Amino acid sequence: MGKTIQLNNLSFAYNERQILKALNLVIGRKTFLSIIGPNGSGKTTLLKNIARNLKPTDGGILIDQRALETYGSAELAREMAVVHQQTDIGAAFTVHDVVMMGRNPHLTRFQQENAHDRQIADQAMQWTSVDHLKERLINEISGGERQRVMIAKALAQEPTLLLLDEPTSFLDIHHQIEILELLKKLNQEKGISVIAVIHDLNLAARYSQEVLLLHQGKVLALGATEKVMTAANLEQAYHMEMIIDRNAYTGSLQVCPVSLRQRKSRTQCIHVIGGGGMGKEVIQRLHQDGWQVSLGVVNKGDSDAELARRLGMTIIEEEPFSDIQATTLHSAGIAANKAMAVILTSIPIGRGNLANIQMAMEQQKSGKTVIHYNTYLPDVDFDYVKGEGARLLEEMALAGMESTNDLDQLMAQLEAMAHEAEA
Amino acid sequence: MRQTHRRSLIFTGLMGVLIMAVVLAASVGAAAIAPGDVLRVIASYLPWLGDRVDVSSVSLAHESILLHIRLPRIALAFLVGGSLSVAGSAMQGMLKNPMADPFIMGTSSGAALGAAVAIVLRLNQSLLGFGAVSMMAFAGALLATSIVYRLARIGGRVPVTALLLAGIATGQFFTAILSFLMVIASRDVNSIVYWTLGSLSSRGWQHVGLVVLPALFGTAVLMFHSRDLNLLLLGEDTAANTGVPVERVKRVLLITSTLMTAFMVSVSGIIGFVGLIVPHATRFFTGPDHRFLIPASGLAGGIFLIVADTLSRTVIAPTELPVGILTAMAGAPFFIYLLRRSKKIS
Repeated sequence: MGKTIQLNNLSFAYNERQILKALNLVIGRKTFLSIIGPNGSGKTTLLKNIARNLKPTDGGILIDQRALETYGSAELAREMAVVHQQTDIGAAFTVHDVVMMGRNPHLTRFQQENAHDRQIADQAMQWTSVDHLKERLINEISGGERQRVMIAKALAQEPTLLLLDEPTSFLDIHHQIEILELLKKLNQEKGISVIAVIHDLNLAARYSQEVLLLHQGKVLALGATEKVMTAANLEQAYHMEMIIDRNAYTGSLQVCPVSLRQRKSRTQCIHVIGGGGMGKEVIQRLHQDGWQVSLGVVNKGDSDAELARRLGMTIIEEEPFSDIQATTLHSAGIAANKAMAVILTSIPIGRGNLANIQMAMEQQKSGKTVIHYNTYLPDVDFDYVKGEGARLLEEMALAGMESTNDLDQLMAQLEAMAHEAEA
Repeated sequence: MRQTHRRSLIFTGLMGVLIMAVVLAASVGAAAIAPGDVLRVIASYLPWLGDRVDVSSVSLAHESILLHIRLPRIALAFLVGGSLSVAGSAMQGMLKNPMADPFIMGTSSGAALGAAVAIVLRLNQSLLGFGAVSMMAFAGALLATSIVYRLARIGGRVPVTALLLAGIATGQFFTAILSFLMVIASRDVNSIVYWTLGSLSSRGWQHVGLVVLPALFGTAVLMFHSRDLNLLLLGEDTAANTGVPVERVKRVLLITSTLMTAFMVSVSGIIGFVGLIVPHATRFFTGPDHRFLIPASGLAGGIFLIVADTLSRTVIAPTELPVGILTAMAGAPFFIYLLRRSKKIS
């Protein structure tokens, strides 16, 4: 089952505007391929060329080594079924009628559907769990149900290739997952090749075996999901800074758009004292606003450290699970000295990192602006050193340390400081 | 299945109504003929029943009126009404447009202009019993539709919007020429207007003979494309991906409906509204499945025109109204009623 699809120099222009530019690629059998790319990159156009809804202006497409245009209409529909982007169907067909229409390519003009056809339509409805909707009208069911009905109709064609154009758009998260789980099941259990244009990068990463990344009508990358969905590739296509990591629950790649790339770049540095994930919010925001950032001291493998590393920041690290050593603390002190200000985030204070707070205090005494980004919850104990941490914080507050829980306000304050320094 | 049951019920109902309409239409008029006599005369011409029916009780005059005046007219009304409805159903399905009708391709304005030219030029020639007006109307219809088709064809495809716009533009152009003709040849205005309103008055078996094959053959061709029409309602792309050679099917449907319509118009003049309303009204009962919608709207359209034509010759007898006036008068309010009652019309 499944067919290879080969594009040879495929080009498509619409009113002189070149949409697809000489694509050359081979899509293997039995794959689950997601086509991704920014708006206007030619995803739908490519799908419609493969589906023969559009005719290439140049080059050609081979399905299992045979030219696409040599297939008859019905013959092609027996190999390939297509679910287009949702449009409203005005006609009051029943769900059963619509699914049964999928048998069309298997019937001659003068033939009626027989028991075999009905059985296949029934099976298709069971696969897509729409059999309970059988007698309902297609224009009176929900968007998610209609999408499943259209997939059932496609399955009734008994295709080896299933093409879908944004099958999850307009659906809520529950229905999105439901549709994609269904496609994955069809791919794995029935061996049907699935090729889908998918807008949501995380869904594409989670469900597809292979990814085709289009950019300005050209193939930017094609291959296994892990190889294609790299920060470098995605940043090039979407003009955004991206972080790719693994989702803690599903284990699949997860794309996090960090910021639009065109951000201000500043020369001043901010030193952040973070750890245990408490610094992430500040680190990300500082990065987005264009500050140079140093972070420390944090333990290796800490999630704050991980984020800072991906964003290319200076990190002063200590070995995992060990107390802060004097040399490391010294390095952090040097970094903080260079900084315009020090931001102390609301880290849980223990024996291991109490030195961090002490360093902040040193900085304050030497005249550096230290701001406490205070997101401690009132009823939650953050101090594991018998009040020593809290006492230090209080002391610093008395000595004039500002404290805020409003990130925007914090950023505005930094901005003002930078402005003053320049003047 | 419930659906099958419902369908046979509707079909049986339509057949029953058709028989009643035929009998009623044949009995009323200047000479009132008893429905029993009508049935007897009809039965005597049926192959198997013929010998068992006694028609001696029916007067010769009545039999002659039935055979030479009323029955051909009823048959013609049935074929014209049926064909216009069948063509209308196909056009509405193919174009996915509820305002489409058999005249969408400019058929009516072309035919009207052709007929007007024949009337103004006093063309009296006839061929095989058909007057020049009929022939010119047919030619005009074909001319207009071929212009529309050529205008609407863009790179081997016929997009729906282009077709609708080309139909409107060409129709307006032909109507303008027609108006011009009517202004300069003012003494013929009456005849031209009368023709464009449509009438089945004084038509005989030769007219039935002319349209019976186009009606049956055209209906058959459209019915063979029922499944394609159903799929076209899901969108042209989806239809193409389900094995419908979309452009070829559209071409066949357009040519078939247009030819059917042109034949009907050439014998009856322009009978409006039938091809628009009857498909809608039928769809309201049958649903959108063309395998059933096409034959059902054919029957319904035939019945509708038989009734309308009977009214047209009886309401203000002895004067005959052009039947097109009646179809519009009855059709428009009914159409509005349907629109308001249901959103299912599509």
